[in-house]
Amino acid sequence: MKDIKRVSPVKLKSNPLKTEKRDNWDIVMEYAGEGGGPYLVDLSHKPRLDLQNADVGAITPFGMTIPDSPGKCILQDGLLINRMNGTQASIYNLGYNLAGQEDVMMPDETGYTDVTESTICVAIIGKNIFSICEKLTALDFMSPEYVAPFLFQGPFSHVPCQIVTLSKAGDDSGIILTCSRGYGRDMIHSILDAGDEFNLKPAGENRFSDWISHL
Amino acid sequence: MMNRLNHLPTLKIDTAQKISYTYKGKSYYGVKGDTIASAMFANGVRIFGRSLKYHRPRGLYSLDGECSNTCMQVDGIPNVRCENTLLESGMVIEEQNVKGSAENDMMSFMDKLDWMMPAGFYYDVMHKPAKLWPVAMKQIRKAAGLGKISPDFKMPGKYDEVFLNTDVCIIGGGPAGMMAALSSAEKGLRVILMESRPWLGGFFEYRSAEYKDGQSLHDRATELAALVRAQENIRLFTHTACVGTYNNNLVTGFQIGKKSDVFDQRYVEIRAKSVVAAAGCIERPLLFDNNERPGVMQIACALRMAKTYGQLPGNKAVFSIGHDLGLEAAIELHDLGLTIECVADIREDGQDAVLLKQIAQRKIPLLKGWVAAKAFGRKKVKKVRLSSIDKMMRKTLECDLVVASAGVTPVTGHITVALGTLKYDNHTGCFLPDQMPENMFAAGRVLGLNDAMSIEASGTLAGLKASAACGLGSLEEIEKAAKIVEMLPGPVRGTKLVTAPVKGRKSFICFDEDATIKNIKQALAKGFDVPELIKRFTATGLGPGQGGIPGHNLPLYVAKCQTLPDVSIRPTNVRPPLVPTLISTYAGTNHTMFKTTAMDEMQRKDGGIFRNIGVWQRARYFSEDYACKKEIENVRNNVGMLDGSTLGKFRLHGPDALKALQRVYVSDMSKVKEGRIKYSAMCNDDGCVIDDGVVVKLGENDYYFTTSTGRAGQTIEWIRYHTRYDRWDFSLVNLTDSMGVINLSGPNARKVLEKIVDIDISNEAFGFSDYREFKIADTIPVRAMRLGFVGELSYELHVPASYMQSVWLMLKEAGKPFNIQNFGVEAQNVLRMEKCHIILGQESEQRTNLLDVGLGFLWNRSKSEAKTVGAVALAQAEHDQTRLKLVGFKTENNSRAPRDGALIVDQKVRGYVCTARDSFALNEAVGMALVDADLSKIGTRLEIYEDECGDDRIYGTVVKMPFYDPEGKRMKM
Repeated sequence: MKDIKRVSPVKLKSNPLKTEKRDNWDIVMEYAGEGGGPYLVDLSHKPRLDLQNADVGAITPFGMTIPDSPGKCILQDGLLINRMNGTQASIYNLGYNLAGQEDVMMPDETGYTDVTESTICVAIIGKNIFSICEKLTALDFMSPEYVAPFLFQGPFSHVPCQIVTLSKAGDDSGIILTCSRGYGRDMIHSILDAGDEFNLKPAGENRFSDWISHL
Repeated sequence: MMNRLNHLPTLKIDTAQKISYTYKGKSYYGVKGDTIASAMFANGVRIFGRSLKYHRPRGLYSLDGECSNTCMQVDGIPNVRCENTLLESGMVIEEQNVKGSAENDMMSFMDKLDWMMPAGFYYDVMHKPAKLWPVAMKQIRKAAGLGKISPDFKMPGKYDEVFLNTDVCIIGGGPAGMMAALSSAEKGLRVILMESRPWLGGFFEYRSAEYKDGQSLHDRATELAALVRAQENIRLFTHTACVGTYNNNLVTGFQIGKKSDVFDQRYVEIRAKSVVAAAGCIERPLLFDNNERPGVMQIACALRMAKTYGQLPGNKAVFSIGHDLGLEAAIELHDLGLTIECVADIREDGQDAVLLKQIAQRKIPLLKGWVAAKAFGRKKVKKVRLSSIDKMMRKTLECDLVVASAGVTPVTGHITVALGTLKYDNHTGCFLPDQMPENMFAAGRVLGLNDAMSIEASGTLAGLKASAACGLGSLEEIEKAAKIVEMLPGPVRGTKLVTAPVKGRKSFICFDEDATIKNIKQALAKGFDVPELIKRFTATGLGPGQGGIPGHNLPLYVAKCQTLPDVSIRPTNVRPPLVPTLISTYAGTNHTMFKTTAMDEMQRKDGGIFRNIGVWQRARYFSEDYACKKEIENVRNNVGMLDGSTLGKFRLHGPDALKALQRVYVSDMSKVKEGRIKYSAMCNDDGCVIDDGVVVKLGENDYYFTTSTGRAGQTIEWIRYHTRYDRWDFSLVNLTDSMGVINLSGPNARKVLEKIVDIDISNEAFGFSDYREFKIADTIPVRAMRLGFVGELSYELHVPASYMQSVWLMLKEAGKPFNIQNFGVEAQNVLRMEKCHIILGQESEQRTNLLDVGLGFLWNRSKSEAKTVGAVALAQAEHDQTRLKLVGFKTENNSRAPRDGALIVDQKVRGYVCTARDSFALNEAVGMALVDADLSKIGTRLEIYEDECGDDRIYGTVVKMPFYDPEGKRMKM
């Protein structure tokens, strides 16, 4: 059994200082040389669900109300629900296995599909992150029309992505990005390459936990 | 090296910081802030290159790269615009398009042969006799052209890209642009300001003339620039040329990086809500004989050489101008030490009285109604002949500098490429904006304005209009700003003169293409009466200067020649890039974005040779033997593993899931049984087969199906499209990346698999076409299918992607006693071809229907035709004997397999080879081909034509399919 492990599609070349094993994932809690931000954190192990229903707005996953219009999101106790379109929402359990958070299991109702394996999931947090983003996408994160949290579904480094902006507050800014798992290698390379001039470094889950707990 | 003027506040150089460079193998020095051209000029270089056709000497002219005069090879990169490129330490600069040197070019005799090359000579002369053309073309190409580049040249440097969003984008960082930026920024809008020069200030920046109350224009520019920099909501992009404007206010450009930047150049793409076009004016070149001889330059070029780069552009100058800027420049340059022999002003009257007085005070001779007619000097200007406009008087003066300009002309490319229109303005003699594109506003000198206050006020007005277009601002304040503009001086009267009174054999209207006004006359004489046609016939404006030099002179000259009552003719269309740049800049960072499977790294370690296949990178071979003999034989005789993760995988669930399946699949999908696999296909409305795959039932109203790799990206859209009016309640989830796939194939596959699973996988318990779900080690959920794509006992294991490596390693470990091996996509291709299992896209093309490829058995005719996509068309095509049919063939005389795509021919093309390979299992070459129906009969001889095979043909015979294990025993074992 010890040989069985789950491998993240995100490979970060930094040296892990602290790791944890959860549900067969080797999760890096801290990397060497994380620097002062911005940070790139692999969250691909965080459970993610797809929910589809003709009347999706009437469903209350885990007791939460799905936002009423596409592009809107709700973050509550580490659970992020993103309204994608008229019949679909995505659910990210960002609090999964965080201290003080209860793990969320697959709901019994129909309409849910576990899509954790379908995508990579990374957080880009800290200062200058939108300067990094504008090197990779034409999506307008800084438009005053969008108030965090909000969802963009569009190209990032030419690849279709779901990007949730959780904060636009200067040095505490942060986004969660998911895209097809297959693009993991090249997406991470392009993000780190774009972020190089801003000193973007890989960081462990602890950075993300600290950050999200302050939102 | 020339001593620089180093006391001027307008200087952009630091003479204390020397920069070394190499020119023609020798070391020279420039100073910090120099462009390549200004540094070379300081070192005495006057001839920078030779012209395209005639190899005429060329020198500084506009200082803004409006022509190819100073294009040189820098660090191996040809056609670098040296007037715009800042000097960097260690640069290696070479002349281009010369035989010998720019100073002594052995090809300069071409200048005497202009009579042999009238306008359109390559159309007139070279097509008869036709045999001459290939020979002549080679010689012309040798003699002409600008820089040369090797096909394998690797572009040095770092290139980046940035995609920006803003409310207002302002093109031009002169006074109008800065005022527009400030007025929009004050509304709280996000503003981007682009300026092609490395600094702000534009028309004010290099001038010492008074702005107001004793403040110089230069100081005013500095003041405005400081205000702009202080605004947090203005993003400033200096050294950023705009190269295009498009619908919906998309603006593109490129930025030259500073030393501190991480890029040398970067592509800039801006999405704005509104745009202000404030790119100012360039000078309209004065047409006279030898008007491009080194030593002839435009007013701003001469003035900026002194004021920006601290160099007097010559020793003794004659001015031939048509604008007050010329008078102002003469005064300033005189005061800096330039001897001015004479100022010839095209205008008889209308000059600024203050400037006239200052000219008189300096005792500079002024000739009103005079113009330069001819410059003399073989390589550089030595004297110039002036003529009164009525040709009655002539005068020749010795000089080494002719400052020449017919007037100014607005930079309107940004407006016209966005489909704005221009109109000739009789007062200014310029083409001014007429209809502006939606939410684009012009400001400053683009509107013909010249007065400093008017320029600024127009900028403010444009900024307010742009803000209003973003939803901020009031009509009242716009009206108020408009009134201020109205009260200030409007556009000044411009000169109408296009050309000096000369015949024009050596009066160049386009420097880049060596086009003269004589060439234009020749084109007109041949009936080309529209500038767009003349442009193409004479190549005027087709060079790297992007039409900057001939842009507005061409339509004016054509109008003059045609004696039109008004100038209804318009300038020719300009197109992006408005300013030339490197293809590398457009490529940007060019990140490679391919998908990889969870097994990518491990397969590479195992020697996998990868190829890009669609959006994926896949292991195609596992050795340098691209025939894959060992891989194939291992699967046929032992056991192999293939990573099939790229297969499309979907979950379809919900109350109406079955209806959706019935709609898109040709088979009766109600017959999908739990625990069994159903193979079927999808067609388009024409009955053409677009996809195939298997469907399994996971539970009530819950299905899992696969598609081909190439089709996965379109499947959800396809099903949604074909059910869009039905209001069916079903959900579709793309699980392509979620599930990895391992194809375990070969006679020993079962022996390997049974080592790692706990269920009975005997043929009786888990037979062919069965589907099972189980867990490996009570942990890893697996969806397993008994399939036989490669024609052997096979298990297709669908595994959560994150567990793929674990399962792969387990199988490898379990397969060790059997010497299990990887096999790649090419081996799979041969294996399935031997079995005649088709791959859509390989054994089909756009017009191939389900019946053509022999999959008609999948089509369930009892389903209502109207409800199955493609069924109606299939019914119509069913008895059509004119369609291509898929056949199997073997080659004759044990000859090699033809290449994929080779044609089946007799007297005409009768089909083509889809896939053919030398089969190791069969020990002969076999393949599949789509052929005309009458060639599909068993035993028919096929004549196969390959590219460049000449008279040699490969012959084959149509045989029964499949070639290998026709009874299918091996995959069912």
